[in-house]
Order: sequence, then structure tokens, then C-alpha cells
Amino acid sequence: MRAIVPLWVALAAHPLHTTLTQLVYRDADRAVEVTIRVFADDFRAVLARDVTDSAAAAYLRTAFTLSDRAGRPLAVVWCGMKRTGDLLWLCLRAPAPQGLSGLRVRVALLFDRYEDQINIVQATYDGRRVSLLFTRGDAAKPLDAPRRRG
Amino acid sequence: MSELTAYVTLGFRHITDLEAMDHILFLLALAAIYRLRDWRDSLWVVTAFTVGHSVTLALAVTGALILPIQLIEFLIPITIVATCVENLVVRDRQQALWGGRYRPVFAGVFGLVHGAGFANYLRSLFVDQIALPLFGFNLGIELGQLVVLVLAAGGLAVVDRAFALATARPRGGVLRLRVVAVSGFVALIAARWAMERSPF
Repeated sequence: MRAIVPLWVALAAHPLHTTLTQLVYRDADRAVEVTIRVFADDFRAVLARDVTDSAAAAYLRTAFTLSDRAGRPLAVVWCGMKRTGDLLWLCLRAPAPQGLSGLRVRVALLFDRYEDQINIVQATYDGRRVSLLFTRGDAAKPLDAPRRRG
Repeated sequence: MSELTAYVTLGFRHITDLEAMDHILFLLALAAIYRLRDWRDSLWVVTAFTVGHSVTLALAVTGALILPIQLIEFLIPITIVATCVENLVVRDRQQALWGGRYRPVFAGVFGLVHGAGFANYLRSLFVDQIALPLFGFNLGIELGQLVVLVLAAGGLAVVDRAFALATARPRGGVLRLRVVAVSGFVALIAARWAMERSPF
């Protein structure tokens, strides 16, 4: 009993651990714009240092990947961040000449910090909106649901 | 996956996550007084808790209710302690106020408090598209609560069995013992949380 109570007390403070990633296709320059919303205190904790552009971009190179149908990684570039209240908005861009259909995405943000982390992805393209969820251990997932053959 | 399914999954996982111990313990405190044949009563109480969530949802969407998160985090364990105290104090529910049927009302009020905790967090993240995430999240919470309730019923049945064996009484005769043991244990943990989170 004396061992169990402190354990449960430690587990009690339990905010929801979630990020929201939005992918929007821009016809004008045939590119995908990625906006990642993450709580600033979570992000600072995972970086273990002040949140600078270079630190954020370096972390995202490992925690966020975007690849084409053949599995070739897209050239994702950092395009800055802004803060509103306790939320950080991180911006990435990548050329996507074939459009978003069939792209494979992986969002592993904060998995190295929180066991219960869930990352939500919303993609808007071709007049549709597709959602994906990522939990720890998930590999890249295609934006399109696999189609049945025959 | 549809957007709604994503948020329902988020709510379901949140409430069934073992780390969400405050919400699981609250459900355990609510369920502690019921026997298997009282399943309708326990369902009413849990549904009232969800109604509380839904009211918070409406208030959060309209921006009518913004409570400081520190206060909410403090009030959540207070609701757990209050539920345990009620479990311990009211021995004869037939003789209690409204024949003991006031429980869904306080579960609903307490649901409002617990829901405010979620609403604050989700409103920050989904600042420009709050309605669907909150609706889906609450729906997932309700589904998750039903799963927790079924598991709690199983756990309480095991506790009854253990007390019946230990006291050589029939299983039906150990309900009070179970209510005292479970409520006391849960109240102890929640009281520690309340002290740790006290903003005063």
C-alpha cells in the first residue's frame, strides 16, 4: 500500500498529449504546406533546450517524414514558426508535383517523451479531408486508404 | 479514417489509458456502491457524467465558460473525494434524499468539472475548429467509460469474492465492507492529489 499510493499520485497529473499536423496542397506552386501545432512546453521539454529555428528544424527532420508512393523522401524545408498563447505553430514545405494522393507520412513528434502521445494528421486535397492517427511505434502511413483490387 | 473517428479514438484512448488515473478512479468511486443487478443505476450515473461533459462542450464552444486550468485540476480530485465521502456516509439509500436518486445529479455536476479539464486543453489546440474535435472526443470518452465501468464491475466482483472468503460471509453480505474499502482507498489517493494541486 505504501508503495502503491505514491505511484498513483505520480500518475495523476495527466494532461492529454496530442499534436495536430495539417497538410494542405497548394495548386499554385504544386507543393504541400505542413503546419504542426504543438504545445510550447512539451516541445521545449523534448528539445531539452530553448526552441530556436535550427533546433526545431533539426528535431523535425527525425520526427516528421514525407515520402512519395515509391518511398522516396520529399525535400522538406523549414519555413518558420510562430507562437500563439501556449501553442507553437511549426511550418514545413515540400514540393509535391504528383499531388498529395498516395504520399506517405509519419509524425513521430514527442514519442520519445510521452508514452501516451497521439499525433493527429489532417490532409486536405482533391476536395477531400483525410485524417490519420499516430501512436508510438507506428510506421509511415499512406494518405489514401489502400484500394482493393479485382 | 474520418475526422470524427480520429477524435472518438482520441477520447476513447484518453479515458482508457492507465495514466488517466483520476478519471478511472472517479468512475470506480461512482461504481463502488453498485452490485451487478444495479447495472441500470450505474449506467444512469455514468450517462449523467457524460451529460455534464456535453454541457461543458456547449459552453466551451460558445466561449461562455473559461475556467483557470489550475482550479479545474484541483477540483477534479475534490469531486472524487466527495463521491467517496457520499459512499461512506449514506448507508441506507432507500432512506436517503429522493430515495437515493440524486446521484445522477451530482455525477452530472462533477462531469461538468471533469469536462472543463478536457475543454481547456482541446480549445487551445483546436482553436479554429473546436466543435467536431470536442464532440468526437466526448463521444470517445463515453464509450471508454462504458468499458471502464464493465472492467470495474469485474474488479468489484473479485473484491467481493475475496471479502466473502476472508470473512466467511455470503457474497451478498460484504457490500458494505467493499464500499468502505474501495471508497477509503480511492479517497486517500484523491486527497493526496488535491493537496498537491491546491492553488491556495
